[in-house]
Amino acid sequence: MNVTAERMSISTPHPPTPAGLFPITRSGPESGSEPWADSGPGPLLESEPESAPGLSLEPVPDDIETVGEATVERPRMTSRNVGVMYGDKMGIERVSLDIGSNEVLAMIGPSGCGKSTFLRCLNRMNDTIDICRVSGSIKLDGEDIHDPRLDVVQLRARVGMVFQKPNPFPKSIYDNVAYGPRIHGLVDGRRETDAIVERSLQKAGLWDEVRDRLEQPGTGLSGGQQQRLCIARAIAVSPEVILMDEPCSALDPIATARIEGLIDELRENYTIVIVTHSMQQAARVSQRTAYFHLGRLIEVGETNHVFTNPRHKLTEDYITGRFG
Amino acid sequence: MSSEEHIFRRFDQELADLNGIVLRMGGLVEDQIAKAMHALREADSEIARNVVTRDHVVNFLDVQADEQIVNLLALRQPVGRDLRMILSLGKTVTDLERIGDEAERIARMTLDIHGSDNPPPDPLLLSDAFRMSRLATRMLHDVLDALARLDVDKAIQVARGDIELDSEFQAALRRLSTYIMQDARNVGHIINVTFIVKSLERIGDHSKNIAEYVVFLVKGKDVRHISPESIDPEELNR
Repeated sequence: MNVTAERMSISTPHPPTPAGLFPITRSGPESGSEPWADSGPGPLLESEPESAPGLSLEPVPDDIETVGEATVERPRMTSRNVGVMYGDKMGIERVSLDIGSNEVLAMIGPSGCGKSTFLRCLNRMNDTIDICRVSGSIKLDGEDIHDPRLDVVQLRARVGMVFQKPNPFPKSIYDNVAYGPRIHGLVDGRRETDAIVERSLQKAGLWDEVRDRLEQPGTGLSGGQQQRLCIARAIAVSPEVILMDEPCSALDPIATARIEGLIDELRENYTIVIVTHSMQQAARVSQRTAYFHLGRLIEVGETNHVFTNPRHKLTEDYITGRFG
Repeated sequence: MSSEEHIFRRFDQELADLNGIVLRMGGLVEDQIAKAMHALREADSEIARNVVTRDHVVNFLDVQADEQIVNLLALRQPVGRDLRMILSLGKTVTDLERIGDEAERIARMTLDIHGSDNPPPDPLLLSDAFRMSRLATRMLHDVLDALARLDVDKAIQVARGDIELDSEFQAALRRLSTYIMQDARNVGHIINVTFIVKSLERIGDHSKNIAEYVVFLVKGKDVRHISPESIDPEELNR
């Protein structure tokens, strides 16, 4: 595994969004151009740029073609110029995207477009693939996640993950949830563990269904319950960000609706990034939507804007189900 | 109306069906207005009665379009341009249905004017109605054209044209009130003519609404409730 975190070379605070076009502004930003357009090359960056308060600290390079608002105020995570190579095959390239605090960001796009690859960059899951090489910068709360001093196990506690197929440990429901806090040393004694298990299961909306059978195996639950157990397991270590890779694709519509409702509630305390093949799901649960195509981030913006008036033709063709 | 096809072909067919209903409805209400005005000009009560009875066809198309829209929304969950098209066409049929009602009203007034025992009106009393009907029918024709071709520039032109019709309407009211002052026996006719010019003014308003839906459909920008003069076509492209 060879991780190179390239330094950003161009620093230009993005100009303010142009004023609205019409006297009556519609919901959603009307700025037609990329926030970093027309900004010209800036001075070489040696240290963290001093940005206006409330604005993203990370400038976005001006040579990428993403349309929409890739930056947000108060980002939880920032990625700049992120590229992934699998051997000599490009996975994603030049992805620059902010993930705002307490927002649900949905990533959509056809199979192989790089959305899961990008998701897996956010907690360095790609480290587990030998031929995978990640470049660019990814920061969590301003900290470089590729910093050699950073413990990757700690990182994955802060940036948790829920997978497509529910994958509870072959252990009891209780132990599934207690496992993380125990190995991270977050709990001391049975009483604290009990408390964290109950709290996590409650947050995941599963407590009432399993409170009387905590010692039964987690694998004995229904698919939807298992997925909520996995969410409880992710929550138990108090992450800041939860990554979800098609968390509902193996679930029926009712179980899906429960997970979606849960995602909406969890947003209050966590930042959530979800990869989904269901555009309706992206539309339902997210505040921002990012569209990937052939390893590029094509468009990102407020979900209501992306689904009513996408700016890029590729986005339009994909969401409306047309030939590209 | 869209250049590219959906992967799911039936969706295209259903959108085309909706589009067909709307354009058919547009053609029908254009004809209703033309016939109503013809009846007024030629004092032809038979044609006026036909216009009145044919309004239910307009209403039928309105209901048919709405059914198609409900099905499209429920079964296809449209987004992006498809969603904008369906919403815009849905609002367009409402305006077309009301234009149909205005045409019917003109026909009813015509029956009143020419069917009563009163002496026929001085042609001067009707001249404003004919002048306004030329403007209103041109607006409607142009906006249906803009809708069929998704021509934003033409739609903006139509929206801007409404000012001229509005000022014609004000002028007509002033003139009609002077006719009353000249000869109080004109009152009966002039009340009917006032309703007719008001209907024509409304047809202009509805056409302007449709023009705004065309802009929303193509550009995704809501330009209602702002003066058409302040719409910058350049800005629409951003």
